[in-house]
Amino acid sequence: MTNYLIRRALQMVLVVFVSTIVIYTILQIAPGGPLDGLGRQNGDQKSEISDAQRQRMEQNLGLNRPGYLRYLGWAVGEYWIDELGDILGNPGDPETQLFITGTWSDYQSPTCQEAGGTNAGFVVADGLSRPCARGIVLFDFGESWSVAPGRQVIDILADRVPPTVRLLTTVVILSLVVAIPIGIISAVRQYSVLDYIVTTFGFFGISMPVFWFGLMLIILFGQKFRELGLPFFPSGGTNSFPRVARGSLQDFLAIDPGSAGDYAVHLVLPTIMLTLVYLAGWSRFMRASMLEVLRQDYVRTARAKGLRERTVIYRHAARNALIPLITIIVFQIPGIFSGAVLTESVFSYPGMGRLFIDALGRNDWPIVMGFLYINAILVVIATLIGDVLYTIVDPRIRFE
Amino acid sequence: MSVAKIDVEAIQDDVFAIEKPEALLVTYWKRLRRHALATVSLFTLAAIVLLVIFGPMIMSQLTYYNADQGEYVNYSRDTIDLLTTRAGPSLEHPLGTDELGRDTLFRLMIAGRLSLTIAFSVVLISETFGLFLGGVSGYFGGWVDSVIQRFTEFVVVLPSLPILLTVASITRGIQIPFLAEEWTQSIIIIVILSMLNWTGACRLSRAMILSLRNQEFAEASRALGMSNMQIIGRHMIPNTLAPIIVNATLGLGGVILVESALSFLGFGINPPVATWGNMLQDVQSDMLGAGFWKAFFPGFFILTTSLAFNYLGDGLRDALDPRLKL
Repeated sequence: MTNYLIRRALQMVLVVFVSTIVIYTILQIAPGGPLDGLGRQNGDQKSEISDAQRQRMEQNLGLNRPGYLRYLGWAVGEYWIDELGDILGNPGDPETQLFITGTWSDYQSPTCQEAGGTNAGFVVADGLSRPCARGIVLFDFGESWSVAPGRQVIDILADRVPPTVRLLTTVVILSLVVAIPIGIISAVRQYSVLDYIVTTFGFFGISMPVFWFGLMLIILFGQKFRELGLPFFPSGGTNSFPRVARGSLQDFLAIDPGSAGDYAVHLVLPTIMLTLVYLAGWSRFMRASMLEVLRQDYVRTARAKGLRERTVIYRHAARNALIPLITIIVFQIPGIFSGAVLTESVFSYPGMGRLFIDALGRNDWPIVMGFLYINAILVVIATLIGDVLYTIVDPRIRFE
Repeated sequence: MSVAKIDVEAIQDDVFAIEKPEALLVTYWKRLRRHALATVSLFTLAAIVLLVIFGPMIMSQLTYYNADQGEYVNYSRDTIDLLTTRAGPSLEHPLGTDELGRDTLFRLMIAGRLSLTIAFSVVLISETFGLFLGGVSGYFGGWVDSVIQRFTEFVVVLPSLPILLTVASITRGIQIPFLAEEWTQSIIIIVILSMLNWTGACRLSRAMILSLRNQEFAEASRALGMSNMQIIGRHMIPNTLAPIIVNATLGLGGVILVESALSFLGFGINPPVATWGNMLQDVQSDMLGAGFWKAFFPGFFILTTSLAFNYLGDGLRDALDPRLKL
């Protein structure tokens, strides 16, 4: 088991490493970049920038570096670039790459050069921003390029995590609380009316374009309710601070703008939208798993012992049927995390997913890379936890 | 030396006259018909396909009164009519018009062509690729299997939606020479979706082939001197087709959803080219205008098509291979 864990952990590091390289490379070779469009406007003298300015900006963003140095700079920082260049004798194409001093220190950002190409002896309060980038291994995701120019990506991400976590926790808990009983009941009463409703609902859930469902929710509960004079739901955002709209649900229930109740009201529609998907999937899965378990010998034994049907179902069958559900949910958690992209876009909900879409639309690669990196880590960790859970809940499974 | 002439045909007639075995396809069809919802889905899909193929053909021959141009013009995807924007259903525009006064029904049908073409292409490419790769992996085993399986795991582990969005966003600027813009965009989307969609077929066909490989008929073929590729092509792959067809049918629904989500977010096919996804694109900003009329029908078509594929897949699973559990 220990051997297996160590091997898997190493594999995980490799997967994250390879995927960052792949994504980074794709981003580099892609047409268009943060400086795209600058100085290219034909005929408009004002917006044009000189070559020197362009070079300065490229150096600021680290775009003058050759591809491998860009990746390394992103991954492990830039404070070592100068020294490594000296050791290697500063190879490179002097015409295009090295235009100031002719050494690799040109590849460092201006702030880093001013600090002498090192972070040594530099102390800052927040412990994150230093003159030289330290790379994602030390949780330095760099600065945002265009969504919030000059801000640390990690700060921006930190602002966006709480709304997303609030949304996802609500969705997961709600889906589980509803899906498990529904799955159990529809399996116990197979082919009953309820069972047909659940299976049909499951099919609708997997076939539903969720963003469309979200739009319909907004149109019905936001727009039509407002037109009809009913207390309507807010169609986006996390709160209505500083003022709630007249006739809205918060107004109707006398909820203060910016209070916990206000946040809760804003969560309702996005939660319904996202819950539909997982509720459908998980109740289907729970039903299938329960049907499987009910056929087992130990359930028949329990019944033969004369236990009450309730006890048989909840103590013997349901608990065993939960095992595959739990593992599948663990595997799905990163997917839920990235699935929030659609929900947050539809409801203009300022979470991680929305940030990711904004950053993609504006070529803000540090944010894109940061998001994908965190996502990749989540995926491998969830996969590992899921695998380990298998062995804990079902000791018959052994990994060699 | 006279040999009694044997009337081969008469003997065959005798044999088959007793009980002519039913063609396999007929059996499948009968079993599928038992699944009421799958049958309904099949006819629904046929209707949708006919509608998107012939609908625009017929409709483009018809004319309507374009208030902006002040004359009767043929229906088309891009003809705008700024005096009849965001209209509700009427005789001239059965499903209303959008914010530029374009006919929603016509756009809906032409969008369906593209959405369905993309879905079929993606599934065809990814299932074929997955089938082949899984076949090789399962048949040869050993290090080939290891390499292919690690690679599959790697692709499975990748967070698919963010990666799709990233790749789609950075390929937005690409233009394939000598091709219309909509075809360039479609090809890019097809390639991207296919790249992440083959893993299911790969695992499925590998598992099937692992169990088939050591059965007697494979042994016999090898003894008869068939090459590895012949055995894979003639015996292994045909035997794995049933689950792959089911997987592909279920996959079609999924691809339609993903493609429409990409287009909805603005990273798929861009306007003025219409797909079901991008017709929903700016509904949010247009909520006060024709929000409902614009939003309802494209989404309804996505839901219906995807639901029909899922039910059909479910029915096919029962029809093609009753033992199969996906």
